[in-house]
Amino acid sequence: MMRFPSDEWIQTFKDELNNNKVYEEVAKDWEGDFLFIITPDEELKEIVIFYVDLWHGKCRDAYLVKNGKTAAFTFKGPYSNWKKVIKKELDPIRGLIRGMFTVEGDSKVILDQTKAAQELVNTASQIPVEFEV
Amino acid sequence: MGKTIECHFWNPELDLEKDLEFTYEDIGNNIELKKPVFTIVSLNKIIENLKQKRQEYLLKIDIPTILNVIEKVTNMWMDPDYKGRIIARDVLPTVTGFSLEMIESWGFDHFMSILRKDNLPLFGKLKPEEYKEFSELGDGLVKAYGEINVSHSNYDPTVIGHICAGNILGIAAFEMIIDKLIDAASWIKVPSEEPVFGALYAKSIEEVDPELAYSIAILPFEGGNKDVKEFLFSKSDIVRATGGEQARISLTELAGRHNIPIAGHWHKFSFITIAREYMDEERASQIAELVSLDVTAWDQQGCFSPQEIFVESGGEVDQLKFAELLADEMETTSIALPKGVNSGKMQVLDGYHQYLKKEMMGDPVKIFPSAIHQWLVIYDGTTENIEPSPLFRVIRVKPIEDIMKIPTLVKPIGQFLQTVGVAIPNKRLLPFADAISEVGATNIRTISSMTLQKPWEPWDGRFPLQELFELDNIRWVSISTKNIDEDIRASLERKRMIVNSKM
Repeated sequence: MMRFPSDEWIQTFKDELNNNKVYEEVAKDWEGDFLFIITPDEELKEIVIFYVDLWHGKCRDAYLVKNGKTAAFTFKGPYSNWKKVIKKELDPIRGLIRGMFTVEGDSKVILDQTKAAQELVNTASQIPVEFEV
Repeated sequence: MGKTIECHFWNPELDLEKDLEFTYEDIGNNIELKKPVFTIVSLNKIIENLKQKRQEYLLKIDIPTILNVIEKVTNMWMDPDYKGRIIARDVLPTVTGFSLEMIESWGFDHFMSILRKDNLPLFGKLKPEEYKEFSELGDGLVKAYGEINVSHSNYDPTVIGHICAGNILGIAAFEMIIDKLIDAASWIKVPSEEPVFGALYAKSIEEVDPELAYSIAILPFEGGNKDVKEFLFSKSDIVRATGGEQARISLTELAGRHNIPIAGHWHKFSFITIAREYMDEERASQIAELVSLDVTAWDQQGCFSPQEIFVESGGEVDQLKFAELLADEMETTSIALPKGVNSGKMQVLDGYHQYLKKEMMGDPVKIFPSAIHQWLVIYDGTTENIEPSPLFRVIRVKPIEDIMKIPTLVKPIGQFLQTVGVAIPNKRLLPFADAISEVGATNIRTISSMTLQKPWEPWDGRFPLQELFELDNIRWVSISTKNIDEDIRASLERKRMIVNSKM
């Protein structure tokens, strides 16, 4: 079990993604890096930002961001909503429509790659985690 | 043997037809409309089935699947040979009173093209604090007014009801699409004046994805049927309604009794403002071309249709001459987009006689009539005060010394203001937009596109998707373009394409 969010988690996520053949296939056309921004709420005290570099079905790099970092896309929402996504209780695209997450970058590009987005969530959900209380 | 058009739609597996009675209304031209006589038992079965289909299917498919269905259905309707469109083409002119040209061009070619997946409002909830000044959204600008005061919040509505007004074709299609994007089952009361298109559109969804379609019910009942309304409100999480003052009063009371929120869109007033910069020798006639399209579209029946035109003084072309130019263009545009059987001839004649007296008495009034009462342009220099039009393509041109005086003039009817069609150069648009929004206007659009709502634009100050989740007291105002000067040039090309292709 590892904590979410943590550097250990994002490293494992990267490894799992690179072992995921389904992701490799459905994301073969994807080019673009992300900042996944987890904003504080009642259960998380400080903002957490993951950088994830996704390129043609592979994750080239992923780490916890310490300093300023930019990416083609940012996907941002409060910790409680991220928890729901990781637990597969919330489809991130539905979360986006409901305003539970915000995206910066061309959201149409993301909407055209939703199978890849779903496989990202599937991969994340398979990592055993313990959440912040 | 004439055509019988079914005005209802629900999951056929319910097999309700054997238990229900139907009425058959002869509307002329060998067309009869078939409508069910609902019982509470049948409605209960319909609503329970909607919930079941939502649970079993709608909640389990992903958003791209829904978007792809929408795209396929829109593609079908954009094809002039699509069977649903052929039926609509045969029937809707008789049902609605609009001309075939209006329905085909303005209805199908333009309204339906809005319902493309790339146009749909999937940007989520905007933060009002980030829009305290007009800021980019879609291909235009929006600004937030007011402070957040949430009176309703439910991000997981199960059943959404819609009561559609009859003045504009196609609202039912928009409602079906929006509900599916937020995972809600839908019942839709189609208007008595136009009970056909909703069922045709739902059937086209059924052709592409039956299970998705069965989370929709099209219910053609009379607005006065209290039992049906009571039942449906009691089963809904929220109801969105469009209608006039009477509908506002009765439906608000009904929603209150059932303790459900109502997202209401009621009687509104819209008008046009033209700045002096556009009244030069070259562009005044172009502006008249564009304005003629706004006055002609839907025979002025929409809440977004202009009822007055304010033209600023100081241009090379004065307001009287502009009225004459507009009359010329009304004639041309009315040939391309003629009136249908519901011509409003009496309204046009009333307007004519009312202003003829003023003209004869020597008032600063000049009437520019159509030879066959298709339209009426009136130059009215007697008063700057805002007045409702008799509609049916009756429009007044009024001089105004400075467009910045208009917000004060319209302030008394601020709560009814909606769309302001504008031809104001970029450098003067934002100050005007700020001032007119402050008194109540919600949509500022380039002339000729007043009746073409963009999916990202707020509707009466609220975003159409977001208001089904939450009513928060923020009034959003949109400007349909980031660059009006460019948009006017593009609009002129579009207008000429529409009109010239019909000439």
